[in-house]
Amino acid sequence: MQVFDKEREISDTKVRLCLDCGKCTVVCPVAQHDPDFNPRLIVQRGLRQDSVDSRDETIWSCTSCNMCVERCNYKVKFPEFVHALRFEALANGAQPPCSHGGALQALMHLMASDGLQQDRLTWLPDDVEVSKGCDTIFFVGYAPYFDIVFSDLDVNTLDGVRGALRLLNRANVSFDILENERCCGRDLLIQGDREGFMALAKANTEEFARRGVRKIITNCPECRYTLGVDYPKMLEEKGIEVVHLTEVLAPLVDSGGLQPGSLEKKVTYHDPCTLGRCLRVFDQPRRVLGAVAGLELEEMEQSREKALCCGAVPWVYCGFVNRQIQDQRLMQAEATGASTMVTACPKCQIHLRCAQKSRESKGTRIEIQDLASVLAQSLDLGGEAIG
Amino acid sequence: MTGSAAHVVIFVCNWDGLSCIEAAARTGHCYPASARLVRVTCLSRVNQGLILKAFELGADGVMLLGCEPGNCQFDVESRLIAEEYDKARMILKLLGLGEERLDLAQMPGGDGYGFVRRVTSFVTRIEQMRAARLARSR
Repeated sequence: MQVFDKEREISDTKVRLCLDCGKCTVVCPVAQHDPDFNPRLIVQRGLRQDSVDSRDETIWSCTSCNMCVERCNYKVKFPEFVHALRFEALANGAQPPCSHGGALQALMHLMASDGLQQDRLTWLPDDVEVSKGCDTIFFVGYAPYFDIVFSDLDVNTLDGVRGALRLLNRANVSFDILENERCCGRDLLIQGDREGFMALAKANTEEFARRGVRKIITNCPECRYTLGVDYPKMLEEKGIEVVHLTEVLAPLVDSGGLQPGSLEKKVTYHDPCTLGRCLRVFDQPRRVLGAVAGLELEEMEQSREKALCCGAVPWVYCGFVNRQIQDQRLMQAEATGASTMVTACPKCQIHLRCAQKSRESKGTRIEIQDLASVLAQSLDLGGEAIG
Repeated sequence: MTGSAAHVVIFVCNWDGLSCIEAAARTGHCYPASARLVRVTCLSRVNQGLILKAFELGADGVMLLGCEPGNCQFDVESRLIAEEYDKARMILKLLGLGEERLDLAQMPGGDGYGFVRRVTSFVTRIEQMRAARLARSR
């Protein structure tokens, strides 16, 4: 059981460098819609050592979009500080305000059970070639579960996964798929449930070691970050290279190893916060999309480093403010005149689709489609937009 | 999971669901003591989150006991609970725990005997699954 070491968290996240200038709060999408949410004051309150009983309820609203870090002159790691404050709150007996009835958290905890033998590959199409024993794996993540939990939103995150696998086949990139991979655990980690995270991480790491995994490809930016950055940091697991699908496809597209097909469509690209601001992967998705003949890409008013978050929180405290952020992003997408918003993150797909569905006919009509799905569609390998 | 009996949770609605249990009690029909009741106002209150939480907390099986379609005290459509039930079953299947661990019992009001038959066979099945899993892990 990890013990909360506040001084270490404070020094790791560099919050003592905070100048109290408030620029983080100016650019924060949550603060824009919720006057009670104030990153600058959360740092102030969080640094106070005397406030043991007073709970800062606003710490659950941070979407970890990193817009604050992007703007901060001293690169204070505010989202990580919030994750630490959440860990402290849980250690003091608080309960995270879970959304969706706590279904995702319960599922993650169940997935860490000993002796679990999942039946999670029934969606795998027969035409996908999996190289058993290969030391590169494709990490599927939560996609099979997402599509059930959110079936009423008509999301199709597995469409992106299938597209990714067929593209890798086409590009002659070999990979294996683990039959019993667990959720990477990012959501539990950033909501302060480090014990839950470690249970999942240990299970995954043991499986990676058992199978001799040297490289992981995934189409989920959150998994890419967690497996590539958090696992080496929080476990002793090193030596596994972790890449996002676009980091694999872009060089192949540039060199001719993968020739995208053609698709007559006007699209706009939504930079996922974790892939963009956290991992600095901005160009690769654009290079890949740019190589599709007939595809017209128009940028939204807030793109790349300034991209607006999809309003996601790790399945805690999702409310009115998140809906406002999502509406704003959807309207920015529609304003480009594109028929489809392309994203490279399954969670962005879910959150934006949720907002869109709740508005029904009164809201935006733009389709949402995963980047791998778009590329697969251009090569007639399947793939379809939702919306 | 230590102990000999399987843990079964029954989410039961306060109306037609509970009336079955009351009828069984009145006529002296016993159902397995390992089945624990969680009363809800209407089964539509029960979502996939609650069902999965019950499994997370150690339930070996979960039963949803409520009214037959069209008989809801609050005129709630039975498709709501049916959808949550379908989702939870598919998740249990994916997890490898087995979709048979979840049962949706839509019963006519006051059917004490029918309820006892249903829950007894459900608990027996869950106990068999538990014994088989314990045997495999030895």
